[in-house]
Formats: sequence, C-alpha cells, structure tokens
Amino acid sequence: MHVARLEGLPLFEDLTSEEKAELGALLEPASFGAGTKILEEGAPTGYLYVITSGAVEVSKEVFPGHRQCLAILEKPAIVGEITLINGPRATASVMAQGPVEAWRLSHETFLEKLEAGSLAAYKVAYQIGRILAERMAKTDESIAEIVAQLEKSDRDFEAFRDKLIQEWSF
Amino acid sequence: MNEDRQRNVDFFQFLSDEERAEFAEAAELVVFAPGENLIEEKAEPSSLFVLTSGKVEVCKRIPGHDDRLLAVLDATNERTVVGERGLLTDSRTSATVRAQVEVEAVKIPRKKFQAMIREGRPAAYKLAYCISRTLTQRLRRLDEQVVETIRELDHRRETDLDAFRDKLMTEWSLL
Repeated sequence: MHVARLEGLPLFEDLTSEEKAELGALLEPASFGAGTKILEEGAPTGYLYVITSGAVEVSKEVFPGHRQCLAILEKPAIVGEITLINGPRATASVMAQGPVEAWRLSHETFLEKLEAGSLAAYKVAYQIGRILAERMAKTDESIAEIVAQLEKSDRDFEAFRDKLIQEWSF
Repeated sequence: MNEDRQRNVDFFQFLSDEERAEFAEAAELVVFAPGENLIEEKAEPSSLFVLTSGKVEVCKRIPGHDDRLLAVLDATNERTVVGERGLLTDSRTSATVRAQVEVEAVKIPRKKFQAMIREGRPAAYKLAYCISRTLTQRLRRLDEQVVETIRELDHRRETDLDAFRDKLMTEWSLL
C-alpha cells in the first residue's frame, strides 16, 4: 500500500519496492481548497507534497504586488522538493487552483533518514540534485542568450549585462 | 589514487574512511600545464576536479567579443572544486576552466561516478548530496540576481528594454 503512493513519480523511480515502502510509510494525507496557498514564497515550509489530484499554480513575486506564474502543475506532481535540500524557506508560492489532494513528507523526517544513512533518502536527494543541475543549466542558457542580445544592442546595457554575468554559474 | 592524499582534500571530509577508500579507487591525480583546459565550454558534461594546488581562471564566451573572465580560483587560498554540476546533469558545460599556472587536482571521472550510482553505492549518493547543496546556494544567488535585474529593467521604463525583461521573466526557470 505504501509503495503505491510513490509509483509513477520520477523523483522516486530509482527506489526498489522496499525503499518505496520505507519512504511511503512516512507520508501523511493533506487536502487543500481552491485558492489555498500550499507553499508561500519566502515563508518557512516543512513539507514536500505529492499532488495526487487537482492542479496547482507556481508563481513568484517579481515586483511588489505583481506575481509571475511560472507553471501550472497537475497530478502526479511534486512541490516543495527543493527546500528539502536548500533550506526552510520556499523559493516560490504554490496555490491550489481547485480542490487538491496530496501526500506530504516532513522535511525533518526526511533529513533524519539522510542522517541515518538511508539509501532510499539518498536516492531521492540525488534525483533532486539532478533536477537542480538541469534547472541551473537551463537558466544559464537563458542568461547567455539575453547577454548575447544585450551585446548586439547599441544601447548602454553594460550595467545590466555585468549584473547578469556576475552571478553566472559554472 | 593514494588514500592519504585524498584524506587531505577537505572536499571528501563528509565521507567515512571506508567511503573515501571507494573514491580513492575511482579518483585520479591529474596535472595541467599553464594554459591547458580542465573543462571546455559547450563540451560534454565534465568530470569533477578538486584542485589541490595552482590557480585556474573561469571564462565564458560572449558572441563577438573575447572570452569574458568570470573568476580566478586559487587552490592555495580556498577549497576549490570545479565541474561538480557535470556529475549530475547531461547538459553541456557552461564555461571554460583553464590553468593559469601548473595545477594539480583530484579528478572524479563522470563515468566512474555514474557507475557507482548505478551500483547503489552510498558514497556516490553522499557526494551527490554534497554537490546538490552547493548548487542550491548558487541557484538562490542567481535567482535573487534575476529578480533584481528584472526590477531594474522595469524601473527604467524604456520600451526596448521590455523585450529583455519579458525574456527574463518567460525563461525564468522554476527554482
């Protein structure tokens, strides 16, 4: 039964049935009404959510009072996985678009598993690392494209170009 | 590779002696002459290098210009690791890392690392976790920088900047 909770989710695909059962047993059910914030950008969050029914909107505040929608995720989807590794504050807001059913996994419990040397937990952390690395590569390509456009322009874009380059990953 | 040598490399301190021994089998000691590339931009995903001596420069190509120098990393002053993203991604490299002087490094070849992951060896997963934590810190900084730049672009309120601002907002990866 616990194994089924994680079937079909890429984040858990490398796990054996026993490992899925180990982590699946840690999941708790969670429900959200339409418009409820599941994660709030900048606020502490303590859970990873496996969305099993419904859809959620992921957004970030670009200007005060203006949110940019980054994605609409439908089941099966996972949110809150990045904060498992990079700290307690959500980097984006996630809001239920309609009724949402989910399983949630406590970050604290997951980190305890890691500290105890659970291979299942390490496998999940590895998959999150792969997601992060791919996102970093994608962001890098986008910035490279923008910088190239800035270079072509005859306007004084040096300040912007330098700002973008400053934090370039490598 | 000599395990004692590896023990001196801070980067591996999170591993147990047994796990370090596993990496000692996989790792190679490599030396680069001044001007030689450890990593080349737009090449296949790289191996990981922990520099034990010397100095490298990190450069990126800007179309129509000379390479842009992003950083100089000195192994005598700080723990210096390059190419770690290559162990986790299938994407091509995003910058060139070149030796400024003779450089000695411990290399974890990507293929050997991936073989360790396929075999389910905890040491490889622990290294991946350590790399992931480093990547998240960089992503957070990059994320903040993108937000700041978008705000500045908007603040200027110049029509031809809108395209760049919109591009940044559209292409923004979900961090």
